[in-house]
Amino acid sequence: MTLHERLQSVFQAVLGDDEIALTDGMTSADIEGWDSVAHINLMFSIESEFGIQFEGNELAELPDIGALKDYLRQRLEGRSAA
Amino acid sequence: MDASADRQRGDQLCRDGRYAEAIEAYRKAAEGQEIPPADVCLKIARCHQHLGEHEHACRLLTRLVDAADTFTPWQAAAGLLEKIRASHEPPAKRRPRVALLGSYTTTQFAGMLRLAALRFGMAIDLYEAGFAQYRQEILDPGSGLYAFDPDFVILALHAGEAALPEYSRAPDDDVQAELERWRSLWRTLAKHGSARLIMHNFALPAESPMGHLAARLPGARLSMMHALNARLGEAAGGEVSIIDCERLSSLYGKRRWFDDRYWYLSRQAMTLDALPMLARHTAAVVAADLGLSRKCLVLDLDNTLWGGVIGEDGLSGIGLGAGPAGEAFVAFQHYVRLLKDRGVILAVCSKNNEADAREPFEKHPDMALSLEDIAMFVANWKPKSENIAHIASTLNIGLDALVFVDDNPAEREVIRQMLPEVEVITLPADPSGYVRAVDQSLLFEPASFTEEDAKKTEQYRARAEIARLEGESDSLEDFYASLQMKAVIAPFDALHLPRIVQLIGKTNQFNLTTRRHTLPQIQAFMNDADCVHLYLKLRDRFTDHGLVGLVIAKKDGEVLDIDTLLMSCRVIGRTAERAMMSELCKGARRLGCAAIRGTYVPSAKNAMVEGLFADLGFEPEGDAAADGERRWLYDLAGRGAIENRFIEVVSGDEEQAHDAA
Repeated sequence: MTLHERLQSVFQAVLGDDEIALTDGMTSADIEGWDSVAHINLMFSIESEFGIQFEGNELAELPDIGALKDYLRQRLEGRSAA
Repeated sequence: MDASADRQRGDQLCRDGRYAEAIEAYRKAAEGQEIPPADVCLKIARCHQHLGEHEHACRLLTRLVDAADTFTPWQAAAGLLEKIRASHEPPAKRRPRVALLGSYTTTQFAGMLRLAALRFGMAIDLYEAGFAQYRQEILDPGSGLYAFDPDFVILALHAGEAALPEYSRAPDDDVQAELERWRSLWRTLAKHGSARLIMHNFALPAESPMGHLAARLPGARLSMMHALNARLGEAAGGEVSIIDCERLSSLYGKRRWFDDRYWYLSRQAMTLDALPMLARHTAAVVAADLGLSRKCLVLDLDNTLWGGVIGEDGLSGIGLGAGPAGEAFVAFQHYVRLLKDRGVILAVCSKNNEADAREPFEKHPDMALSLEDIAMFVANWKPKSENIAHIASTLNIGLDALVFVDDNPAEREVIRQMLPEVEVITLPADPSGYVRAVDQSLLFEPASFTEEDAKKTEQYRARAEIARLEGESDSLEDFYASLQMKAVIAPFDALHLPRIVQLIGKTNQFNLTTRRHTLPQIQAFMNDADCVHLYLKLRDRFTDHGLVGLVIAKKDGEVLDIDTLLMSCRVIGRTAERAMMSELCKGARRLGCAAIRGTYVPSAKNAMVEGLFADLGFEPEGDAAADGERRWLYDLAGRGAIENRFIEVVSGDEEQAHDAA
């Protein structure tokens, strides 16, 4: 599975909607059910899926899906380089 | 095709809306796995939901509970359960009303609790109080909590709620004062309602500013928290249930249990990954309080209680005692014996020649279990499904009271297929994991511990013996007489109250009205002079059955109205109900009543007593209601007291003399 697919399946599982199709420009406003509780659930599940931990304010703020993917790519590459 | 290809085919079929075919593909993906992976359970459940097959969907969700113990799949499953609940009642044995009051964000825990409850046979009607509103809700008689009128109140707390200083010069006084603060909250709750309180105790923090010194410094906060948890447990007694979060957080690993990032961000008291475990344990305790815990453990023998096959390897060849595997089997037997000692009934179901199967019990020096520990011993070559059904009917308990353990996955699968009510535990390949597998199932969570529990095996063995004797006696009268039954029938008292509460909470079959009175309600009956309340203790020449029956009746003008009449299934078919009713007649006369009214309220389990009042000489009072409820009247003035021929009623003093002897 690609990073995009893994991320999408986390969103589908946590928000309980198999129809969710992520695109890079999406923010919480574009996805139904992404409220403050769902945000916590999503961030936690993303951490579990990718084996990373958000730090400081990263946990609270999430600009859009594209930025999240860039961030994840960076973290995962950093790990494989080390 | 491999499993991941089947899974992808299922996903495609789902997208095309061909859900029935998708289910087939997913089942194929999980083929050969005893418990399907969590994501497959969820996918199949979703398909069933799309097809409108809500019961199937719920069943898959309960399997997911066993397949996963992390947040994400549980959250997904809890979300699906919410969707189903919006239009359908999930299938359940009980539907308790539960109020969840927390000192932290409980939104996620609430969903998990519903899901875990479903696994234990309960559909919860939930009231979730606002964030950290627990004190206000309990103290305000007009709160939403009391308007909801719950059966259970769950108090979910974190360690920050314990008002104890970092260091105290008078630790004992400080701990006592903090204990009193919680007890006063318990009392307020009890004053305004009859809900059973289930309190999470305090998970002690992972860090210790006092280092190891804290362990020998009673004034250190860590030491005081330990003391507080202990005193809360002592104070709880039979009135309050405690979920030991200190134990759970240790079990989970405190460094993982606590994740302060999520506390600062959204007031989560523990990592979301720990919520499934906490929810399972909380649900198991609710289930136990409702009498849903399993009663009987059915054991295979070869490679389950000892290594190897007794019929082939012989007494000296089986693995028991010596060596790592041999020690593991002894340890498992020892654990099983401890279950038995606190009231779990044991049965053996083995494919063996009976003499071979008994030999280790009789002769092997390292057996921790003896034949006396086993209420029923079945060793033959019939299918196990048949033997297990026979065990249930002989011991007179439902199939849904049984748990089956067997090292052989094929036998486990057959029982799952043939007897779905029986719980089947998946044992690991290595016997050193057997104890944990049974312990983690939480299927035997005890609600209370009474003297009767410790005597249960003796009683069930006696029942199997009596089943044999029944065949030998010429007539039923001869049989009853041969039992030499003696009963103590007396008003409720404080000493017997725990057992009375337990019987009212869990008796299903011989229960005319199935009214689940709580402790405060029972105490109200006891304080009412217009009430007759009697318990029945029974013994015969084989065994002392303990307190096994009770009746509660209330004067209504000239009529004594039976509110509750029930008996443990251990003593059904012994005319004990006549002995009890005969004493009730005396009580009716004392209160000046000329008649006794009985009500039969049908339930899923009590069809066996539908004709009881007719047998006792009652006449129907009006027609049965649409739901089958029916009232009956006994003309005490005209017919005289109900006759009791076979049971000698002795006084409590004689009974004590018997106990002393």
